[in-house]
Parts: sequence; structure tokens; C-alpha cells
Amino acid sequence: MSDVYLDSSAVGYRARARRLTLVAVGAFAVLFLRLGHLQLLEGDELEAASTRNFVRTVVLPADRGTIYDRKGRVLAVNRPSFDLYVTPAQVKDLDGLIAGLREVLELDELDLVRLRERIEEPRGMWRFRAIRIERDIDRKRVAVAEALRARVDGLSIRVRYQREYPEGRVGAHLVGYLGKPTASELEKDVEGRYRADSMLGRFGLERRFESVLAGRDGFERYVVDARGARQDDGWGERAMAAIQSSRPPERGHDIMLTVDIEVQRILHDALADYESGAAVVIDPRDGTVRGILSKPSFDPNLWSGRLTTEHKREVDESPYHPMLDKSVHAYFPGSVYKVVTALAALEEGILDPEEPIESPGSYEYGNRTFHCHKRSGHGSVDLNGAMAASADVYFYKLGEALGIDTLATYARRFGFGERPGLGINGEQSGIVPTRAHHEANTKGGFQHGLALSTAIGQGDVRTSPLQVALAFGALANGGTLYRARVVDHIRTEDGRVVSRYDSKPVGTLEADEDHILAVNRALERAVNDPELATGHLAAVAGGRVAGKTGTAQVRKIVRGHMRQAVNRFQDRDHAWFAAFAPYEAPKLVVVVFLEHGGSGGKDAAPVARRIIEAYHQRIEQVFTTTARNEAKPR
Amino acid sequence: MTRAAAAVGRIDWTVVGLVVVLGAVSVVNLHSTSMATGTTVYLKHLYWLVIGLGVMAAVAAIDYRNLQRMAPVFYGGVVLLLALVLAVGKEVNGSRRWLDLGFVGFQPSELAKLAIILTLASWFQRVPRPGGYTLRDLIPVGLLLGVPMFLVLQEPDLGHTLMLLFIGGSMLAYERFEKRAMLSVLLVTVLSAPLIWSFVLRDYQKDRVLTLLDGKADMHGAGWHARQARVAVGSGGLVGKGHGDGTQVAGGFLPENHTDFVFAHLAEEHGFLGAALVLGIYLFLILAALRSAVQARDKFGGHVAVGVGALIFWHVVMNIGMVLNMLPVTGVTLPLMSYGGTSVLTVMAALGLLLNINLRRTVF
Repeated sequence: MSDVYLDSSAVGYRARARRLTLVAVGAFAVLFLRLGHLQLLEGDELEAASTRNFVRTVVLPADRGTIYDRKGRVLAVNRPSFDLYVTPAQVKDLDGLIAGLREVLELDELDLVRLRERIEEPRGMWRFRAIRIERDIDRKRVAVAEALRARVDGLSIRVRYQREYPEGRVGAHLVGYLGKPTASELEKDVEGRYRADSMLGRFGLERRFESVLAGRDGFERYVVDARGARQDDGWGERAMAAIQSSRPPERGHDIMLTVDIEVQRILHDALADYESGAAVVIDPRDGTVRGILSKPSFDPNLWSGRLTTEHKREVDESPYHPMLDKSVHAYFPGSVYKVVTALAALEEGILDPEEPIESPGSYEYGNRTFHCHKRSGHGSVDLNGAMAASADVYFYKLGEALGIDTLATYARRFGFGERPGLGINGEQSGIVPTRAHHEANTKGGFQHGLALSTAIGQGDVRTSPLQVALAFGALANGGTLYRARVVDHIRTEDGRVVSRYDSKPVGTLEADEDHILAVNRALERAVNDPELATGHLAAVAGGRVAGKTGTAQVRKIVRGHMRQAVNRFQDRDHAWFAAFAPYEAPKLVVVVFLEHGGSGGKDAAPVARRIIEAYHQRIEQVFTTTARNEAKPR
Repeated sequence: MTRAAAAVGRIDWTVVGLVVVLGAVSVVNLHSTSMATGTTVYLKHLYWLVIGLGVMAAVAAIDYRNLQRMAPVFYGGVVLLLALVLAVGKEVNGSRRWLDLGFVGFQPSELAKLAIILTLASWFQRVPRPGGYTLRDLIPVGLLLGVPMFLVLQEPDLGHTLMLLFIGGSMLAYERFEKRAMLSVLLVTVLSAPLIWSFVLRDYQKDRVLTLLDGKADMHGAGWHARQARVAVGSGGLVGKGHGDGTQVAGGFLPENHTDFVFAHLAEEHGFLGAALVLGIYLFLILAALRSAVQARDKFGGHVAVGVGALIFWHVVMNIGMVLNMLPVTGVTLPLMSYGGTSVLTVMAALGLLLNINLRRTVF
């Protein structure tokens, strides 16, 4: 060992050299591993980062599909909108640009200071990013801005689509509105369908049919260097060859609804005097929805990207919950539910419709007294009379005899407790109370008295206006329960049908024809009986309407004549009216629901009448043909 | 057979061959930069390499024992130049590192590395301590190392200051020290670290260290450079994007791609294969230097060989460590690959010393 350095007696140079060699080899091993890690393991990710460096992508937004009513009238459509942008890096004459913008946008001094700050603020690569100065400028300003763009550098005008809802507030819940995606939605969007400034369906059908309506954005790509200058030759051309350079945007599909704009307007006008509620019109023959709306409404044109703080506050602070779609939200049905009790009793063979039953002002059951809405009672009435006068004790007795679970069985045949199939706005299935339901949810468990409350649509029963419409539709058409159908078909821009939504029976009442007829006859009496009819305000001059009032108690403390005196909105009764017409051959079902609206007979029934009359006059003469048929001798 | 012919036969042609290969790779690599920027850096670099080979041959030709006698004069001259650059150097980006010689710029800090190698080697030769060097011996060694380090730090040039420290330290590691001396060095290193952090390092230098530790980095300045280097390296993959098609270089996203970040450039265009080849050449050169050290005729030769090996080692580790985002951003060049005349000539001269020592070894 010590043969190294002949003139030195020191030893260990070889050993130390070997140690240094080990250190060097070790350090290089680390470098090799790191190099391999970056190039072979992280390679794909870093290649993507490299591509992001030199690729600029211009998104070509897809045109969203149009939503039409049944007659091809527009409910939601895209129109081009012009936005003004400034790219700081391209600005050569800032003063000139600002002076020009002042003219185009009619800005005041403060706006000008802010504008200057926004243009001067970005640093580095951010200066190449265009800043939006103003959105959706009108045509006249576009012309002025175009002229300005010719004079100064850095200004650009970009076209995008702005969603427009010509009907505004009318039927806004059904059609819905658009909004920007949230951060978590963007994160989950692995296919890259959306960008931060995309607009997607946020409510109503816009949301339900987002994937159909949206289409697919296209893009154009080009190569830039670090300064943002476009590179079409040499390396840029070769780099471009490896990536997809463009993809045309694909337009979304159009949706044709079964709903009629004119019916929507009729419903809107008919509800004008009431703050909160819903109205539904369906064709009982196939479950097709002709009109459906909820009150109060909101302006989808504002909500789709131009929401002002005032409008937002107005909606947020309204006690009437404008953003809640009441047509598919479940409430106490009150007496409209009596059709379930009546049919159940007939089917179970415990009721002879013509047999009068004593129906006084109150009914003792267990240790509780069940009152009728009319304190003096109705005397002895048959089914027609009981339905017409809405005699509560008559139905308490039926409820007591049937029991809550039997009532529930029939309620389900009417479609209660199931979603009616519109698929929008958190559509509720409502509640069909059973013994098990009360055991689980009621303090003190199930008591037999609950069957009595259930029989008149109180207790824990909850139904949505749309469910009531479909249930009355089943009575009107002789026993078939349909799914709510609001979309007729989906088609491409050039008219090719992509999918068709046919009407779909989901069940039947499983009831004897005579029993259904008996209930319908009673409903006809409830409108037309000269003495007893609680729904007489729904009667129309030219034909016969059948229907049922409902005045659902919301607060127990309030009773009898005291009800109408209640001032607090939230304590007032819900007012319902469910009707079909014409009685002889029903073509439409109308359900009016007035949230805390007062009385079914005094408030909801006249609204229903106005709807039926307007429908007859403006949409389809439902009574004339019937009248002719009746005139024919049999 | 003449003596000259015998000498030619004894030259380590493998080292010469690898230097030529490395030079060729670097010229090809810089040709890509030239295409992107429309300059002729690759030609200039080629000229410097040719001149460098001449310098290498010249340094190899003179018997290194003559160089040993010249060492103190060389050291004194370099210290003067370092002082001169502080006074009249050309200021670039806030630091004075260059002496403007009219036709060409020149960095005395590059020469300082050679001066340290020769001076320390010569000191170890002249002061033999068969029982190991003592604590007191560290004082002259510390001074010889400290004066040029201090001057370079004033430029400021942290990269080269560290380089001098690391080269000197590596040479010390080749010597035997008493335990007391070793422990003291260790203690001083540990204790001085926070002081150096607080009083010696400038804010931008601290930022670079923090940027590295931080991981995600501020995306401006040095952090952005480091990130782009990482992107360039990683996007090269196994075989690279091809000559002239490195988008990071051609698009100007990778800064300093012909100087400090030249390795990222190579890795982007020629992938893991190209980058690993160059890394392998460096490792071979370093191992050759350490082998020459133990075969050297005397202690001076042994230490010079270790110093040359250390010079290449630390340059490569600090530069590639920086490119691969493992070490902070310092302006340390990659030997022969980075464009720059002074750097090329210094490395060539150092390799000349290595050939010189190898040529005059006693063990065959």
C-alpha cells in the first residue's frame, strides 16, 4: 500500500482514493436515478407541461340546443353576444386605448382609473392573457368598438353565446337556467367538457338535459414561443404535427316539449293574485303535461350569468321561496285526497255510494274529538253529498273502517308516494303514511286516530300538485296512471329525431269501472250540486267540470271561521283545487295549489275555472265537441 | 524509439477520446440553440474547444514539477485579478465577474479554481506530516483557500465560492488529519452554517434555497427557471424530441439553455439515452482522475489529480443537481457542455494537468 508517493511515508492514500471513488459513484448514482425518475416515470406528466407551454388553445364554444314548446315556439335559445377584451402585452398606446374605451362604454373617472389599473397590473406571462373589460355589449357599441380596434392595438372583441329565455319568468322553473361550473365540478370533469367560463344547466330541464343540450366545444390550437408569438414554421410546424390542431364544435340537440307556451301564460295570469303556489295542466289520456308552473318565479335571463346583487337579494329574502319548484314539491293535500278514501272504501266493499251516512260537526274517536271544517255538520249524506260538501266525518268513518295501511295501498295505486317522473328540481315523492311510517316517525308511535286524519288528507300525507294531477288523470281516463311526460322528442338541428318520449302507463287503479264512475260522479257533484257544492266557483257556463276542493290545515291551533282571519302567511291553510273537464270525456286535468292561499273553494276553485275557460277559448274547444255528442240521441 | 514517441504512447488516449466525444456532443447540442436563436454559438463554442485542446496539450507537455514551482506566482496573480475584477469588472445582472479584455470577456474566478488546486497540492507536498496534519496546519490551508473565496464571494458569485470550498475540501479529504483537526472542521462547519445563512447569503440566494425546499416554488425568476428545466428534462423521455425539435429550447421557455441549463437542453432533445451517456463520460473522467492520483509520482501530482477530479465532480453535481431540481439555482457551468470560453479553457487546462500527471506516473 505504501508504495504510493515514494517520497512520502504517509499511508492510506489508496484507501482514501477508494473512499472518494465511492462518494463519486454514489453521487452519480443519485443523479442517474433522478434523471431516470424525471424522464421515464414523470415523463408523461412533464411532457404535458411542456405541451401546455407551447400550445395555445382557442375554444370554439358549442351552440347549446334550443328548447321549444309543443308548437315550435322558443323557450330557451342561444344568441351571439359580444364581449370586449384587452390584452395588456399588445397595448402600445394605453392613453389612446383608455380614451377610446371611455367613449365606447361611457365610463366615469373612477371606472377609468380602475380600468387603467386592471390593464397595468398583470406581470410576466399574465400580460399575454386577455382581460374582459365588458360583456354583452349591444350592436351599436360593437360598431364603435370595431372602429376603435382599427385605430389602437390590444383591443379585441370576442363572440360567445348568451342564453336567452323569451318567456322570462313565465314557467321559469320548468325550463331552468344556466350557471358556471363550480370548482369541484371542474375537478370531476375528467373529459374536459367544461371550462371555468362554461355555462351549464343549473335548474329545470336545462339541468336535466344538460348532456343533450350542451353539445361539445371545439377548439383551434397553434404553437407559440415564450413571448406568445405564433410559430407556424420550423419547430412549431413539427411540434404541431404531434397534436390535434382543431376540432369543430358540435351543436347540442334541440328539445321539443309537450308544454304549450300559451297554457303557461294562462297559468301565470290565473295565479296573478296569489303570492305562492303552483298550477298544472295535463292531458289525462296520456299523462302529457300541457302546462306547469310555480310561483313566485325568477327571471332566468338574469340568473344565466347576469345576476345582479339586488335581484339575488330579492330572491334570497323572499318569504315565498322563489327558487323552490312548488309543482313538484309535496304539501298537505287536504280534501283532494278524499278521492283515495272513497275509492278504497268502494273497492273494499264497505261503502254503498247511495247509502246516507250521518255526518255531524265532530266525531269522537278514542280520547280525541275530530272536527269537521263545518261546525254544524252536514246531516246525513251519501257519497255525492259527502264529496260535494266535503263532509269530513263521513270520511273519518271510512278511514276508521279501512285502517291506515289499506288507505296507503290505494294511495299508491294513485301514484302517491312515487316520483311522477318529471326528473327536475328535486321532484318529491311525497309521503303515503302507513302504520310503519308512524311507528318510525311519530312521537308516541302509531295510533288509530291517524287513519282518520289520513282519510281527509291531513296527518302525515304529502302530495305534490303534479302527483295530484296524475291521480285525477287516472280517475278521468277510467283507471290508468301515467308517468308525467313533458319532453316530446329530442332532435338534431336539422330535424332528425334522436329520441322520442312516448307516454308511459305506470300502473292502474285496479278498480271496478263502476267504482271509478261513482267517484267521478261525486266529483262532478262537488262542482255542480246546486246546494252543497264546495267547488261551485269552478263551474263553467258551457260545460261540465268535475273537481274537488282542498283546504289543508297547516296549523292545528287555527280552526273554523278563525282561519281566514289569520294574518301570518305561514299559518294560513293551503288551498287546492283539482279538476278534470269536460266531465263526460275528460281532455284536461287542472290542479291549482295556492300555498297558504286560504280556501280551496273560495280561492283555488275560481283560479281553476279561469284556467279551464281560458284553455277552452284559447287552446282547444274542449266543451263544444262534447256538447255535440251529448245532443246526439243515443 | 525516441522519448517523445514513448510519451505519446503513454498519453491516456481514452481521456482524450472522451473529451473529444463530449466536445462533439456539446457542439451538436449548441447547434440546436443556434437554429432556434439564429446565432452561431455552436461555431464559437467549437473554436473555444479547439483552442482548449491546444491548451490541454500545452499544459500536458510541460513537466508538472515545473508548474509546482510556478504555483505561488500563479496564486498571487490570480488573487490580484480577483481584486481587480471587483474594482473594474464589468457589471452584469448586479454582479462583477468579468474582466473585459476588449476582444473577449474573462472570468478570474475560473482561474481561481486552478490556482487553488496547484497551491494546495504544492503546500501538501512541501509540508509533509507523516503522522497526519494537525489543527494548526489548518490555519495556512484555511488562509490559502479563504482569500480567493472571500474575493469571489464579493462579486458576488456564490456558485464559484462554493466551488472553491468544495474543491479545497475534497483535496483535504485525500489527506490524513488528526482526529482533533477533523472534529474541529466538522464543528466549525455546523456552527457557521446559521451565521453564513444570516450574514453571508443575499436574499435572492436564500430564495433559491427556499424555492428548492419549498417544492412548488414561486413561479418567477429562479423558481420558474428550475421548473422549466424540469419540464424540459422530463418531456425528453427515453429518446428525446430530436435535434432542433426541443420545444422548451426552440420556443424560448428554457432560459440559459446554452449555458447553465444546457444539460436540460440535451436531455430534452436526446432523452435519457443522450443525457445518461454524457453523465457516464463525466463519471469516467472523475474515476480516471482518482486512479491517476494514486498512480502519481509524488504527492503534488496526486493532489492535483484529486483536485481536477473534484473540479469536474463538483461542477457536474452542482450543475446537473440544479437542472434536475435537486439543488438550488447557482450559476455553475457544466464542463465543456456549457457555452463559455473561460470555462472551456479552465476545464481543458485542468484535464491537461491530469494527462500530465498520468504521463509522468511511476506505476504502470
